[in-house]
Amino acid sequence: MAEVSFICKRTVISTRPVQPGKFFPLSVLDHIMEHNHLRIVFYYQLPVVRKIGELTMKLRESISEMLSSFPIVVGRLIKSPEGRWMIKCNDAGLRMVEARARVTLDEWLRNVDREKELKLVHWEEMFHKPYFWSTFYVQITEFETGGLAIGLSCTHLLSDPKCATMLIKAWADTTLGGKIISPPSFRPLPSRKQEGDTPNHQPYFQMINHYKSVFGKPYAVSDIKQTTFTLEFKHEMVKRLIEMAGALPNGHKQELTPTPFEVLSALFWTSISKAKGIKGSLIDMSVSLDTRRKLHLDEGFFGNCTVYNMVKGDGLNENEVSKAAAAIKEVVSEMNKDRVMDLIEFLEQENIENPPWMTGYHLICANLENADPYSAIFEGNSSPVRVSYYLEPAVGPGQVLIYPSPGGDADFGRVVMVTLGEHEAENVLNDALIQQFSPTLLMSFSKELS
Amino acid sequence: MPQNLPNFSGSVRLKYVKLGYQYLVNHILTFLLIPIMLGILIEILRLGPDELSKILKSLQFDLIQLLCSSFFIIFIATVYFMSKPRSIYLVDYTCYKPPINFRVPFSTFMEHSRLILKDNPKSVDFQMRILERSGLGEETCLPPAIHYIPPTPTMESARGEAEIVIFSAIDDLMNKTGIKPKDIDVLIVNCSLFSPTPSLSAMIVNKYKLRSNIKSYNLSGMGCSAGLISIDLARDLLQVHPNSSALVISTEIITPNYYQGSERAMLLPNCLFRMGSAAILLSNKTRDSRRAKYKLVHVVRTHKGSDDKAYKCVFEQEDPQGKVGINLSKDLMVIAGEALKSNITTIGPLVLPASEQLLFLFTLIGRKIFNPKWKPYIPDFKQAFDHFCIHAGGRAVIDELQKNLQLSAEHVEASRMTLHRFGNTSSSSLWYEMSYIEAKGRMKKGDRVWQIAFGSGFKCNSAVWKCNRTIKTPTDGPWKDCIQRYPVHIPEIVKL
Repeated sequence: MAEVSFICKRTVISTRPVQPGKFFPLSVLDHIMEHNHLRIVFYYQLPVVRKIGELTMKLRESISEMLSSFPIVVGRLIKSPEGRWMIKCNDAGLRMVEARARVTLDEWLRNVDREKELKLVHWEEMFHKPYFWSTFYVQITEFETGGLAIGLSCTHLLSDPKCATMLIKAWADTTLGGKIISPPSFRPLPSRKQEGDTPNHQPYFQMINHYKSVFGKPYAVSDIKQTTFTLEFKHEMVKRLIEMAGALPNGHKQELTPTPFEVLSALFWTSISKAKGIKGSLIDMSVSLDTRRKLHLDEGFFGNCTVYNMVKGDGLNENEVSKAAAAIKEVVSEMNKDRVMDLIEFLEQENIENPPWMTGYHLICANLENADPYSAIFEGNSSPVRVSYYLEPAVGPGQVLIYPSPGGDADFGRVVMVTLGEHEAENVLNDALIQQFSPTLLMSFSKELS
Repeated sequence: MPQNLPNFSGSVRLKYVKLGYQYLVNHILTFLLIPIMLGILIEILRLGPDELSKILKSLQFDLIQLLCSSFFIIFIATVYFMSKPRSIYLVDYTCYKPPINFRVPFSTFMEHSRLILKDNPKSVDFQMRILERSGLGEETCLPPAIHYIPPTPTMESARGEAEIVIFSAIDDLMNKTGIKPKDIDVLIVNCSLFSPTPSLSAMIVNKYKLRSNIKSYNLSGMGCSAGLISIDLARDLLQVHPNSSALVISTEIITPNYYQGSERAMLLPNCLFRMGSAAILLSNKTRDSRRAKYKLVHVVRTHKGSDDKAYKCVFEQEDPQGKVGINLSKDLMVIAGEALKSNITTIGPLVLPASEQLLFLFTLIGRKIFNPKWKPYIPDFKQAFDHFCIHAGGRAVIDELQKNLQLSAEHVEASRMTLHRFGNTSSSSLWYEMSYIEAKGRMKKGDRVWQIAFGSGFKCNSAVWKCNRTIKTPTDGPWKDCIQRYPVHIPEIVKL
């Protein structure tokens, strides 16, 4: 039964006309993400039940207001004479799709799976001529009795998950109070030349080599059907996991306590390796981080700041979560400002012709803890009851996305979205170690009936 | 250098000669009357009071003669006052201002065009060239149904647009003038391309609960000049019905008329027509003469439909694929020029000062009798009018009229800026232009305004208004929040 019915698709524009003739070049970190796109869903249960369509109209007005501060979002992609992407701020607008779901939000959340959830986020692949292709898509789906789903999809060329979340927060601020609390900043990435640093240290090669290893690789496709499930780990459980992972085999504690991201990624790393049938070591994993804070950029920096690094799985046992967590911690700590600037310099000199598939060849573990989606409040005090992130397309060995769970700021509660082949996903879901921490299954997958 | 100086001094001298001639001819009656009155006064003073009383006694006024003469005078005066047409006052008017999120920037319009006409790149390029040279700005608005991909022009959305556009204008008008629905005696609505049943005027009667004996009229199919046709109709009705108010609504509903085909001649209206409407309150009540903004002086209508080419130059038809659109022929400008000439031939004698009319007469006689090669004298309408409101049909129309009537850039500023900010809103554009002039603070008491509208048929209609009271700024109207930005320079071609 088609629960979500499409009403219409239109273009929304900003309220203030953009001054013509402005261009915004994309950075190297933007360019390498060309093959990817993001799809995010925010679910709300609003207190006031309105007539159908009234809420959508109100949101349409506020998004137009908000877009006046984001000329890049309503611009279009063109290539410079040197073949680099840039945005022409031509005031063309973004596409908005309106839909209606004939169930209540609770019913939907109980029965949702990957396919159904992606129906709440409209997306169109890049046209042959990207100049007429909208880079951002928004879908508003109204549920019965006051439920609302806001879907945002965008090309990864322009925005990483933190940036896309910031866009929705800006929209929410505009709807609630009429102005954006933390306005965006549009500037290039910091460069060594600007800061007058002369590097007199050895460039860090591991991260650069990781990027090099995906250059030139062919188009990534997935031959098995991928599915996604979502688990929520409560604060107490994560604390217990941290204690467990922090304990060394000889009974002492590790010097530095692992963070929730490190332990959860280690947990899933080991579990997924087991599910893939690898014994004696772990598969290589690529960890991604938002480096805004490390690069001393403000939170409103618009663009890609996500950097990937490889954690090698040799020498690690699939049963030793603590060692895995330590390995991840080491790699994460190496992703400091200097190293990232080295990477940026390398990428700028490299002049990549064909953008690589950053997410197509390794298991990806993305740290989305900076994203802060729950402060996007559209009405009253209703913060999102659930948020889902999808890093598309789902090709490659698998993905694990880790972000905060709703309700509680300095909490250790986390939501983990795992995308794997169906068979492997089943194994991971039934993994005893994971089940020890009693996660709530927020979204499952419907098994194919053979 | 020396060559220019004599020309300059020659032209200055010519200017003063012209001024002198105009002053003399326009005030000829005064010039003749004053010496006569002076003569009589001197004669009276010369004669002295005794002589005067002797002359009066000698006239031997009979009582009957006296009574008959006074009755005669009173009779003539009564006939004169009774047959004088009632003064028609424009109490106030309002224009609809669409919400800013209905706006359609050029790039959005072109993108939609490309998505809808993806099999006809030539048509898309044509639309782009039109838009670049159109003189429109980035804030013109289209109704919601046209923002959809693909557009969904249903009857329901057309009615929805009509309701938003008309009811907003009427609500504003009622607030401004304080008129109550039960006081409206005549209701005239003109909307050319959307004519549902029940009519738009019935829709207004239903919404505002107007009286059951209201005289309502709905004019459809009469093109962009229908606004002045409605004013003419209102004027005629107000001559017949004493002590009445008339509400005139001029609008064009865009939703059902968005051409979805690819014929080039029919794509032009899509690029130019935008949402808008105006609500005007006319009255013949004497108590409104104090608070009214304008007084209607003349309405002149010219219809060139008897000529086949003029009749077919703006023609609604189906294209080879069966999609309905409005076909604009290539000789539109020529026909418009002819229609204008006809119209000013009629309006000229009514409004031009005697000096211009004499000059025109002399050149006409000269051409007929002496030498047909003499250039026809184009009367200087700038002397008859202080403000011009030329229908913002498109940049070409305004350019053409500016050239033909020899108007300065300031005279056509209202039309150009209306085209830029609101697009071609069809019959209501004249009211947006009036509103611009008022918002700029240029409208003073006694100023005469000439509204010219062209429309399918082919018709050219004019209305002449006289300003009744100086309009103070800041005015409340569609230009309220943006008047300080205007006038803007509109480039010949906007690069898209």
